[in-house]
Formats: sequence, C-alpha cells, structure tokens
Amino acid sequence: MLEMSHIKKVYRTESIETHALEDLTLTVGAGEFVSVTGPSGSGKTTFLNVAGLLDTFDSGRYLLDGKDVSRLSDKEMSQIRNRTLGFIFQSFNLIPDLGVMDNVDVPLRYRGLPAGERRKRIDRALEMVGLSARKKHLPSQLSGGQQQRVAIARVLAGEPKLILADEPTGNLDSAMTREIMDLLERINAEGTTIVMVTHNPECAERAHRQLHVFDGRVIDVERPRVTLTC
Amino acid sequence: MLSYHLQNALRSLRRNPILTALLVGGIALGISVSTAFVALRHMYQQDFLPGKSHRVLFVRLDSWTTDHAFNPEDPDSVPDQLTYRDARALLRSPVPRHQTPTFITRMFVHPDPKVSRPYQPDVRLCFSDLFDIFGMPFRFGGPWSKEADAKPEQVIVIDDATNQKLFGGGNSVGRTVRLEDRDFRVVGVLAPWRPPLRLFELERNPAGPPEPMYIPFNFVEPLQISSSGNSAGWQGVPIRTFEEWLASESVWVQYWVELPDDAAAGAYSDWLRAYIQEQKKLGRFPRPIRFRITTIAEMVEELHLMPDGVKAMSVVSLLFLAVCSVNLVGILLGKFLARVPEVSVRRALGASRAQIFWQHVIECELIGVLGGALGVLASLGILHLLAQYMRNGEALRLDGEMLLISLFLSLVAGLVAGLYPAWRICSVPPAMQLKVQ
Repeated sequence: MLEMSHIKKVYRTESIETHALEDLTLTVGAGEFVSVTGPSGSGKTTFLNVAGLLDTFDSGRYLLDGKDVSRLSDKEMSQIRNRTLGFIFQSFNLIPDLGVMDNVDVPLRYRGLPAGERRKRIDRALEMVGLSARKKHLPSQLSGGQQQRVAIARVLAGEPKLILADEPTGNLDSAMTREIMDLLERINAEGTTIVMVTHNPECAERAHRQLHVFDGRVIDVERPRVTLTC
Repeated sequence: MLSYHLQNALRSLRRNPILTALLVGGIALGISVSTAFVALRHMYQQDFLPGKSHRVLFVRLDSWTTDHAFNPEDPDSVPDQLTYRDARALLRSPVPRHQTPTFITRMFVHPDPKVSRPYQPDVRLCFSDLFDIFGMPFRFGGPWSKEADAKPEQVIVIDDATNQKLFGGGNSVGRTVRLEDRDFRVVGVLAPWRPPLRLFELERNPAGPPEPMYIPFNFVEPLQISSSGNSAGWQGVPIRTFEEWLASESVWVQYWVELPDDAAAGAYSDWLRAYIQEQKKLGRFPRPIRFRITTIAEMVEELHLMPDGVKAMSVVSLLFLAVCSVNLVGILLGKFLARVPEVSVRRALGASRAQIFWQHVIECELIGVLGGALGVLASLGILHLLAQYMRNGEALRLDGEMLLISLFLSLVAGLVAGLYPAWRICSVPPAMQLKVQ
C-alpha cells in the first residue's frame, strides 16, 4: 500500500538545516494497521505529511498504492488525497461553522459526487460512528470524542484505502480513547489500511505492527504485545 | 463546484458582517462615482440609434464660393447645411431607404382660448421618413402618409407635452391644431422621448429637447415658411422675394438619410458625386468636388459636443474605483490569511490549489457584485445631482448598457481587490496549520 525508500526531507532556514527525515525506508502492506511512535521532533508528523502528500520530500522514492508519487502535479496529489487517503488529526480539524453533516460532506464535494450519492455516504458514515442524531449540530456543540467521531465519519464517507491518523486520541480521555481505538480497529477489520502516529504506547500496541521513528529514521520494528489496556 | 464555492463565500461573508460591510462599502463607493461619470460620458458616446447608427447619415455638400471655404480657417470645411434647391434635388436619389430634408421654424399656435393663450413654439418641417430614421416612439397614431408628404396635407405630429397642454393627454388623433391661420389634423402623438442630444440638428442647441410639433416639409412653398435656425450665404446679392430665397445659394436645410445596408454608402457617394458634377455643368459648385456623409457619432466628435472635462472625469472616476479596490487588498489579505487553518483542512481533504483559488476569487466577486448593486443605487443619486446642472439632464440615466458596464466594473473591482489575496491563500502549504489548529 505504502512503500518509502530512502526518503529525505530537510527544512532549511537562512542559518539552520533541520533533517526531519533521514533515509527513511518502510513498507506498509494493504490492510495493515501500523502504529508509528517516537519522541517529539523525531519526524513522525513530517513522515505523516509526506505520506499524505501534504508535504514534499527532497529525495528518495515513494510508491503509494503502487503509484510513484514523487513528481505529481498539485491537482493529481489533491485527487489522491481526496480519493485514496483519509486523515484523522489530533485536534479533529473540523470546520467550526459547518454542521456535522456539512463537515462530513467536504471531501465528497471536492470529489464532485452527485447530491444523492453524497447524502447516502454521509448517512452511512454517521451511522457507523453513532452520530446520526447529531447531523445538524455544530462542532462546538459536541464533546471531544464526538468531534473525533465526526472526523472519522468524514474519512469513512470518502471510503479511502489508507487512513493516516496523527495522534487521533491525543486530546481525549481514556474512555474516549478506547472508543476511538475500537472504531479504528473496526474500520481496519473491514480492510482499510491505517497508519497511526501516537505517543500513547498502549494505543500503539493495538496496531498489528509498531514502527519507531528516531532522528528521521525508522529504527525499530516489533510485533505488538498481546495485552491491551488502551 | 460553483454552487459550493458560492455557498462557502456566502458563509464567509455572514461570518463577519462588519468586515463584509466595509468591503462592500469600499466597492460601492468606487462603483457609485465611476458609474455616474461613465454614464455621463456614455450619454455622448452611446449607440444613439441601436442597430442602424452607422447607416443613418447627415449629408453635407460643398456648394460654397471659390473665394474661401465655408470655414475660412479650414480649407476642407463644407457648409453645415444644404441649399433648398439641393435638398429638393437630393430627394431624387433612389439609394436611401429613408431620407428627409428638415429645418425648424416658429409658428403661432392658437389653442382653444379656454385651454391656453396663443403661443409660438418651434415647429419642425420634415418628411414622414424622419420618424422612421430616428425611431421616434408614438403614443397615439403614427407618422403621416407619403400622400400627405406629397400633396402636402394639413397634418401634424405633436409631442406628449403638447398633447397634455392642448388636449389633456388623451388620444387626440383626428383633432386639430390651429397653426397660424390653418387647421392641422393630428395624426400622431409622440410618446415621451428625450434623446441625450437633439439628433436632428446637432449644430444648434445640441443639448436641447426635440421640437414639440412636426408638419410636412412641402408646406415650405405654399406657406412661404423660412427657417428660424441658422442660415448662411456667400453670394452677397440682395434677396427680394421668397422665390429668390429658395433659389439662392443660402444654406439653411439639414438633410438626413438612412441607407438600406453598409454597401449602400459607396453607391450613395457615387450618386452625390454625379449630382455635384451635373451641377458644375450648370455653373454651380465652383469648388473641388467635396461632400460629407456623417454618422451621429462622427458629428458628436466633429462638433466637440461632449463638454470639456467629461472624458477626463470618467477616467479619473475609474482611477478612483481602482484606488478603492486596491485599498481592499490588505483587508482581504488579512481576512483570507486568518482562514489558513480551514484552508489547510480543505487541502488535506482533497481541495486542489485551483479550487481554493477560485473559492476565494468567487468570494471577492460576490463582494464586487454586492458593492456594485449598492454603488449603482448610490450613482442614481449622483446622476440626479449632476442632472440639475445640465440642460439635457433629464436624458442622463442608467440604461441597460450602463448597468452591464457597472456589473463589469464591479466584477473587475472585485477581481483587482481579491486576486492577490486569493493567490496568497491558495499558495499556503497544505500541511501548514493542521497540527496546531
């Protein structure tokens, strides 16, 4: 699903060069649930941005769903983000003055789907996350957990092949964290590949595979332990 | 996608009504001033006879003396009117679809004493083709017939104000107007009609209104009617009788033609050239063959009918609109950049840079259109004010063409204000604020 070889990413200012990704190489197979951990500044978010075509990289090779995405136009990258990828963020990133339904509708609008098809997908996605009764609510009228479920519904409505989650439980209490992780596991069980960056070791252990990023490299790969408390 | 961009734009405008009012007000200010002054310029540069302006021509012939040109300072000048005999002769040309010699005189009207005391208005003598050539609108009846032209019959067309004054505004077709000592039967009543310029006779009182009464041209001879307008001559011999006046080289008749198509201009020129050559054989037209057939727009230009400063003011007002628009660039830039987090999310969810750009351009255009609508309303006030100081002020108005121009200016103003901010916001890297929102 995702194959990165020797990816390098350097942020440059007038006086400083920051090597965010240094020869990063990894492969994620279709249907996998992979967690990515690492200390702050290790390059996790940069990795996720590059993986999600939200940021460019300086060198290396990146195959996404079998396609080389190193030299795509903005339009082509936008189409891949819209059709192949789904993003879940720590701070939910809902548009504050759009209701729940309209927030879920955003990626579908950019896909140019007809209204009836969009409506079906929105209803189905909100039902999956248990928010069918809150279609008209604004994000500010929902709890943190509910907002993250709306964000997940937004991803589900797009039916992506790969979900990139950046600290999806970072702003949630333990009960909500469990709820979201259960939801992600269900989604993964239905065949969607998930790559999740997290600081929470317990959440990381619920993935099929854990990657550890340090100084911009994947330095550790291990199988998850069996006992899960997250 | 356009409807979605519009929805987003409306949502954005509703989000901060005060800022929206400021932006719309800025555009409205520029549009109101520019629309008013462009309308003023448009009044003199419009298509006066839509669809046929280029085929309606004012005819002039150089029948002047060899001693000097009509305008001694301009050797190429031609007399601004025709002699009576040339006007009569030109009627023989088969080329024009419509044609008429015309001039104005003053005649006493003797209304019913209960209605009004006698008065002396301008009366225009013409063939009925005049009404067709200038597309004059009728409220009741219509032009007189060709037979009435030929005989001539005692028929008259009056304007709406005269109809109000003499007949209370009702359908007065068939009633009579006593001019001097004859009764003229009303065959047509014009609808209110106020062209910006006095099209029939641009050399004299061009800002004035059209005449209130029209009678057949062929009354010139039986009633011995002379022009009350300008006349000029070069022979320097005393004219003792009316017949001598009609046969003289004095110019006092205007002549208009409407050609059937564009190609007819060449044929008509050939006809005029042949006519002058024929007259030369009779000892007239001593100067080199010279004639002019001129559209109204060309006459407006030639006679410098647009008041000084109108062109300059329209340019300055457009610059003012540009300044208003440019002043909004900073405000829009701040407004859009405050939206970087939302734009980052939209980019992550699949919006392309072009889609973000157009979403914001459409928001600017919406501001432009709203400002334009408000500005057009305000410009009506400015035009009303300007009209107070103009003789032809009542013809100063916003027609359909001007409304389209205002809409165009509004869209351009919105684009000028929003292009750079829209480009900046769409250039923001998508990952910029996803983490910190």
